[in-house]
Amino acid sequence: MKTLAFFRHLLAMLFFAALQVMVCNRISLFGYATPFIYVWMILRFDSFMSKGSVLLWSFLLGLSVDIFTATPGLNAAAATLAGMLQPSFLEISVRIDKHDVVRPSCASMGNSHFALYAFLLLFIHSLALFILKDIPIDNWGTVILSAVGSSLLSFAIIFCLDLSFSRNKDRRYTSGL
Amino acid sequence: MRSLLDFLVRHGSAFLFILLEGLSLFMLFGMNDRQNSAFMTSAGNLSGGILSVSSGISDYFGLKAENTELATENAMLRDYVEVLLADTVSEFRNQASAYGINVLARVIDNSIRKDDNYITIDRGTVDGLEKGMGVYNARGVIGVVMLAGNRNSIVLPILNSKSSISCKIKGTDHFGFLEWHGGSPYDAKLKDIPYQSEVVKGDTVVTSGFSQSFPESSLVGIVNRVERRQNDHTLDIDVRLATDMTDLGWVYVHTQTDDPEIEELNRLVEGN
Repeated sequence: MKTLAFFRHLLAMLFFAALQVMVCNRISLFGYATPFIYVWMILRFDSFMSKGSVLLWSFLLGLSVDIFTATPGLNAAAATLAGMLQPSFLEISVRIDKHDVVRPSCASMGNSHFALYAFLLLFIHSLALFILKDIPIDNWGTVILSAVGSSLLSFAIIFCLDLSFSRNKDRRYTSGL
Repeated sequence: MRSLLDFLVRHGSAFLFILLEGLSLFMLFGMNDRQNSAFMTSAGNLSGGILSVSSGISDYFGLKAENTELATENAMLRDYVEVLLADTVSEFRNQASAYGINVLARVIDNSIRKDDNYITIDRGTVDGLEKGMGVYNARGVIGVVMLAGNRNSIVLPILNSKSSISCKIKGTDHFGFLEWHGGSPYDAKLKDIPYQSEVVKGDTVVTSGFSQSFPESSLVGIVNRVERRQNDHTLDIDVRLATDMTDLGWVYVHTQTDDPEIEELNRLVEGN
């Protein structure tokens, strides 16, 4: 079971990294907004995963994006931050019973809760990323504008995809414990 | 120990976060030019300091080569100065030897503690050195070549009881001999200055130029103490040497030999 989860995560990581590098990084709407689709993977980590593995997978995900964009550490740092906050944000966004396994999506959390949860995490990720990217920062306006634009665009794409892909199986279910 | 483990387990994810974030930032600031330069300039006073220390250290190790270059250049410049001076006063009768007037040499052995000290330098007859040539450095006079080997020479420094260098008080024509009888390596005695000459503490002692080992008026030292003894015809003068004999690295050898005519006359006089 654990091996299966591991390979599922590994495949997802490679898929999202490739999607980010080959498609999303080429998009720059109005010169400010770049979608960070790979954060969707972090958003989707279920409530049953340990904080450690969320962190580790987030870090590896960011790092694999970095490797292909030749910005070592940039996405890794932002993704690790997102991975650190994800479990807490999830807990705050929805009430989770002890034995509940929540795989975050519109279907499992409700549209508004998921929207808030996803947007906050995306915004913090983008903000961290653009701050780190633009150090030393000459123009905070550009940084904020880029962070807001990118998180809005990412959120729009992820929300639409989530609405169309998440199915009933994402509804809360009780673990076998 | 147990509580420490408990603490680590309870806050494991926090430590993991710090570790991973630290790793990311390390990569970010270490491998990306923009962030790297920002780190170096604004937040990086520390690393800047470390860099300057390390460059200071490498500079220190490069000093030897640098010194050689500077000293070589110095010897060349001294040659020019002497030629130019001689041109002006048209007293430069001897052509500079093929080796140059001032040969640069390195002190390879030096003693100061004995009664009779010697200095060994790494130049010899091959480089144009001969017995009797003056040895000095940028600060002042050191001694005279006593024995010239093929590639090395022994110098008889001021700090040797056999050493006797013809000196005078700058601005006067009273001359005497600089001698040393053991003791402080910073002080020597000036003998044979006539009793009536007006020498005071602080006067400059320079070479007389009689022997032509040294050019006239090369700095030797400063008068440190003058004692007028009764029943004596000369003054007892202590000289603080200009050259720090305890710290010799590169020296110059004045290879301009005596005027052949004067040499010949001297030989005739001594022969009789």
